[in-house]
Amino acid sequence: MSLQQLDTNLFEEIIYDNAEPCLVIFSRKNCHVCKEVLPMLEELKPRYEGKFGFYYVDVEESKNLFERFSLKGVPQILFFNHGMYKGKVAGKVDEDQVEEKIAEVLGA
Amino acid sequence: MSNINDLIIIGAGPAGLSAAIYGGRAKLKTLVINKGSIGGLVDTTREIVNYPGYIQISGPDLMKDFENHAKSFGVEFLKGEVVNVDFSRENKIFITKKGEEFIAKAVIIASGSEPRQLNIPGEKRLRGSGVAYCATCDAEFFEGEDVVVIGSGDQAIEEGMYITKFAKKVTVIVLHDEGILDCNKVSAEKAFKNEKMEFVWNSTVVEVLGDENVDGVRIKNLKTGTLSELKCQGVFFFVGMVPSTGYLKDSGIKMNEKGYILVNDQMETNIPGVYAVGDNRVKYLRQVVTAASDGAIAAVAAERYIEEINSFNSSVLQSDKKVLLLFFNAYLTESLEFSSLLEKLNGEKGNDYKIFKVDLASKKFLAEKYAVKTAPTVVVLDQGKEMMRFEGLTEKEKLEARFY
Repeated sequence: MSLQQLDTNLFEEIIYDNAEPCLVIFSRKNCHVCKEVLPMLEELKPRYEGKFGFYYVDVEESKNLFERFSLKGVPQILFFNHGMYKGKVAGKVDEDQVEEKIAEVLGA
Repeated sequence: MSNINDLIIIGAGPAGLSAAIYGGRAKLKTLVINKGSIGGLVDTTREIVNYPGYIQISGPDLMKDFENHAKSFGVEFLKGEVVNVDFSRENKIFITKKGEEFIAKAVIIASGSEPRQLNIPGEKRLRGSGVAYCATCDAEFFEGEDVVVIGSGDQAIEEGMYITKFAKKVTVIVLHDEGILDCNKVSAEKAFKNEKMEFVWNSTVVEVLGDENVDGVRIKNLKTGTLSELKCQGVFFFVGMVPSTGYLKDSGIKMNEKGYILVNDQMETNIPGVYAVGDNRVKYLRQVVTAASDGAIAAVAAERYIEEINSFNSSVLQSDKKVLLLFFNAYLTESLEFSSLLEKLNGEKGNDYKIFKVDLASKKFLAEKYAVKTAPTVVVLDQGKEMMRFEGLTEKEKLEARFY
């Protein structure tokens, strides 16, 4: 299932206004590592339906968002809960690392 | 998509896609299993100027052409990661990370290579926070900043120059004496002229510094042993590649000490029906054109192998008559004479048996299957089951007594 893409406005709304627990992958089209990580998130998403949100930011289209988090590379998966930044995982990560982090965010 | 295939190709870089084109065209039921993006490493290459027929093309565009070409011949693609294989029997078995199982008669391994890590302190911890391996992906995050590039091969220097489009300064850390780079001459000349590029010679990076993000590197001069620090916000590692063959370590495939797969001219590994092509095999030149060549050779070899297996299965294993499976050596006169003797005798006796001749040199997979070491050897099969066998030259009378 593909991830909903966020622009700056949607980002504000979902992360800060709704304050739902979620992750956001910062990615770009021509990055090969992103192309490995993204499908893994797409598969993971249905298992967390209603419990944890999965979103996507294209850094080329939303440059201000990656500048805000002073990111130094893609892919990066940022985690949020109650409108607060809860950390990130970077580069070629696997399912287990993401699930661990989700459990941590939900448990905290 | 069926789980039973003639040919499975692991990897969809230029080697795997070329093999797929040849496999599909030969009407083999071909499945490509690929974990990342189609095109493999080429997909990260901005510009290719030495693939015949294309004066200049981007890596992704070229790979799209390869992919469409393979699909036009009916090749199927599956996105997945092969984590385990069993190549011990005639039907090769593949298990993916999701637990799906696939079977094929022949397999072409084209899983490529991945960037080598230096495994220095800070490298893993700061990955994605200033430590990077792909300029196309990450260069632009370093707009107006200082970047260090480790390595001096084609990739390091060419990617380094690309990074200068964004960074304020790119410092290249080179192992060799002043003026010596491992990359091609054209790129070296360009790099030396590039005002944003600087070089630190006879040196290596021993640590990446920084808490949340990279703020520098510790450099060691290999001649003097002195350590120094250089402030920077990004470090790009281009220190060569390692083969992505880890998942094959228990497969029985022979590899060298670095994990590159050993093959012969036909891309055959030590296991019948298993071939290796492209960057994951031992080879002299790793380019798109040589990867494509490997793929073509392996697919043709695999096609012949499958054909032999099919014909063996239908004419020998499913034969109504008993079969004399004769392993002979085409280079030995005695061996050939023995072969005619056996045929003549069988003819005189009303062709009680079906004789199937196997040249020991060219049908290695059958020799291995029946554990035959010497020629001539006759294996007697009834409904595909071995009843008895005879090794060495035998006189006509003795043969007659044994078989008829």
